[in-house]
Amino acid sequence: MASIKVPKQKVILCGEFGVGKSSLFRRFTNNTFVTASDRQSTLGLDHFDKEYSVAGRQLRLQLWDTGGMERVASITSSYYKFAEAAVLVFSLDNAASFHVLSQHLLDIVTYAENAKIFLCGNKSDLEGSTPQVTDADMESFCEQCHNLISATFKTSCRSGEGVHEMFEDIAQHLVEANRSRLELQSIHDTESFKVLPPDESTDPPCLC
Amino acid sequence: MDEEYDAIVLGTGLKECILSGMLSVSGKKVLHVDRNKYYGGESASITPLEELFTRYGAPAPDQSYGRGRDWNVDLIPKFLMANGSLVKLLIHTGVTKYLEFKCVEGSYVYKQGKISKVPVDQKEALASDLMGMFEKRRFRNFLVYVQDLQEDDPKTWKDLDPNVCTMQQVYDKFGLDKNTQDFTGHALALYRDDDYLNQNALQTIRRIKLYSDSLARYGKSPYLYPMYGLGELPQGFARLSAIYGGTYMLDKPIDEIVYENGKAVGVRSGSEIAKCKQVYCDPSYVPEKVKKTGQVIRCICLLDHTIPNTRDALSTQIIIPQKQVNRKSDIYVSLVSYTHQVAAKGWFVGMVSTTVETENPEAEIKPGLELLGPIRQKFVTVSDYYEPIDEGKESQVFISKSYDATTHFETTCLDVLDIFRRGTGTDFDFSAVKQNLGDEDQ
Repeated sequence: MASIKVPKQKVILCGEFGVGKSSLFRRFTNNTFVTASDRQSTLGLDHFDKEYSVAGRQLRLQLWDTGGMERVASITSSYYKFAEAAVLVFSLDNAASFHVLSQHLLDIVTYAENAKIFLCGNKSDLEGSTPQVTDADMESFCEQCHNLISATFKTSCRSGEGVHEMFEDIAQHLVEANRSRLELQSIHDTESFKVLPPDESTDPPCLC
Repeated sequence: MDEEYDAIVLGTGLKECILSGMLSVSGKKVLHVDRNKYYGGESASITPLEELFTRYGAPAPDQSYGRGRDWNVDLIPKFLMANGSLVKLLIHTGVTKYLEFKCVEGSYVYKQGKISKVPVDQKEALASDLMGMFEKRRFRNFLVYVQDLQEDDPKTWKDLDPNVCTMQQVYDKFGLDKNTQDFTGHALALYRDDDYLNQNALQTIRRIKLYSDSLARYGKSPYLYPMYGLGELPQGFARLSAIYGGTYMLDKPIDEIVYENGKAVGVRSGSEIAKCKQVYCDPSYVPEKVKKTGQVIRCICLLDHTIPNTRDALSTQIIIPQKQVNRKSDIYVSLVSYTHQVAAKGWFVGMVSTTVETENPEAEIKPGLELLGPIRQKFVTVSDYYEPIDEGKESQVFISKSYDATTHFETTCLDVLDIFRRGTGTDFDFSAVKQNLGDEDQ
C-alpha cells in the first residue's frame, strides 16, 4: 500500500463561537471575507486542502472548521481525532474569548494528544490603542501552558493581514516535526484507511 | 431553543444522527438534542475506562489497564459489512471523510465445540476442516450458482425460481448437509435463527452475495471497524447535520413532547419550548409509544490476550450457530483491540451477545465466554428491545427500534431509511449531498 504521496496534515480550528474561525477558513480556502451582517454562521464549511512547499518538501494542509457545533453544544471528540495541528483562536477585542482558551486546550490535549498547538489572536484590526488582550497576556498564557504552544500569531481576516503567514509557518512547523515520522509511516502496511466507492474492475469474489 | 424547526431529533444514537444528517441535507431546519453530556447515546464508545467501570458500579481499574483515556469501549458491538448499506450511506453522504477503518482480520464459525475459520479463498477452503472433500465440491457448486444468479434473468436460475422456492429446496437441490446449511445460513447469510429455511430463497441469496462482495473489497474478512470505536459513526453524521445547518444541544433534559390534536408541535425542556412539525427519537424518549418485544444480552469482556485458536488475530468475529448449542438464536462473539485505538496497548475488548431466550440470560452466553480464555473484567447488560407501536403518521413522532443483536448494521440502516420514508414521504435523495463542500478528492 506504500505509495509516494504528498503527506496530508489535518489542522483544526478551536475557540469560542464568533471569534472568526470560519473567517480564517474562508481566507485559507479562497481568500475572501464576509462581514458579520451577511454571514450565515458556518453553514456548509467542512474542510479544505492546500499545498505548501517548505524547503523543497511538499506538504498538504487540510484545514477543518467546526461546522458551528460549538454554538450551543460541544464539538464532537471525533473532530480532534487524527489532527496534527490545532489553532486556538480568540478575538483580540474580546477578553472573554481569550480566558476560556484553557478549556479548549484541555480538549485538544485529551483528544488530539500529538497535535502541535498554535495560538492565534484574530481581529487585529479591532485591537485599537487599548487592546483587550495584550502581547504580555498571550506570553503568560504560553508560559502557563508549559510551552505546549508552538507559536503565536496575530491575524485580521478583514484585511487578510497575517493569515497566510500563519498557515505557512504552521506548515513549516509540521514539516520539521514530522520529517522522521512521515518516513516511518510509509513502511507500515497495517495503517487504517478510508472507505471509497467500489472499483468497478474488482475481481469477482471467491468464497471457495 | 425557543425557535421553530421543521424537525426536532431526540437522542444522538447512530440512527438519530443518520436521520438528522439526512434531514438537514434535505434542506430541513433541524434541532438535535440529547439529554446526555456526550454524543452517541447507546451507540457511544465509553471513554475513559474509569467511566465504564463507574457505569457498571465496579471499583476503579488498577494500573495494569494503562491509561484510561486510551480506551473507547462500545456498548453495542457491531461491524460494518464492507459492501453493506452503512458503507453506502457513508460514501454517499461524504461522512466517510471523517473516519478511518481497519479490516477485521478473521471470521470464525463454531462447530462441535471448536471454531473454524470461514475460508476467504480457494487455498483456505481446501485446507478447511469445516466440511469433507465431497461436501466441499457440492458447496462449491452451490456458491457458483449463487454468484452467477441474476435476479432478472431466468436462464441463471437453474430450474429453481428464487422468488418462489424456499431456501431449503435450494440446499436440497445441491445436496448440502445440515452442517453446511448451518454454516451458510448463519456465518454467510448471517441469519440469527432458522426461519429463513422456509422463506423464499431470494433473500438468502442476496445476503450471501453481500457477504462475498464485502469479502472481495478488502480480502481478509467482509467486516470493517472504525478507528476509535463505533462511537465515531454517530459523531460523523452529527457533523454532517451541523454542516448543513443543524443545531446541536447536549445535556438538555427533555420533559415532554407537546401535542395539539394528537399531533406533535414541539418539545419542552423546563420552561423552554421549541416548536416543530415533526419529532424523530429513540424509544427512551417516548416510553408510552413503544412496546417491548424482547431482550438482548451483551457482555463486555476486557482481555489481555487474543482469542485462543484464532491465529492471534487482533480483531475477530465468531458466530455460534443456534443449533450447535441447542438454541433458537445465534450467539455472537467479537474482538477488537488496541490497534483500533479502543484499548490501551496490549489490551483487547471482547463482546458476547445474543437474543435472550430464558430466565437466566447469563448462562445462555456461556459457550461464547468459554471461547475467550481468561477474562480480566466482565460487564453484563440485559437490555429490552423496543419497537414503536405505530408508524407515526398521525402523531408525526417517528421512533426508531432498539439496536438488535445482529453483528452488523444492515437492520440499522433499513430502520433509518424506513423512518426517513415515513417522515418525509420520499426516499432519501443522495444527490442532495453537494460534492463540493470543501471536498478534497484527488
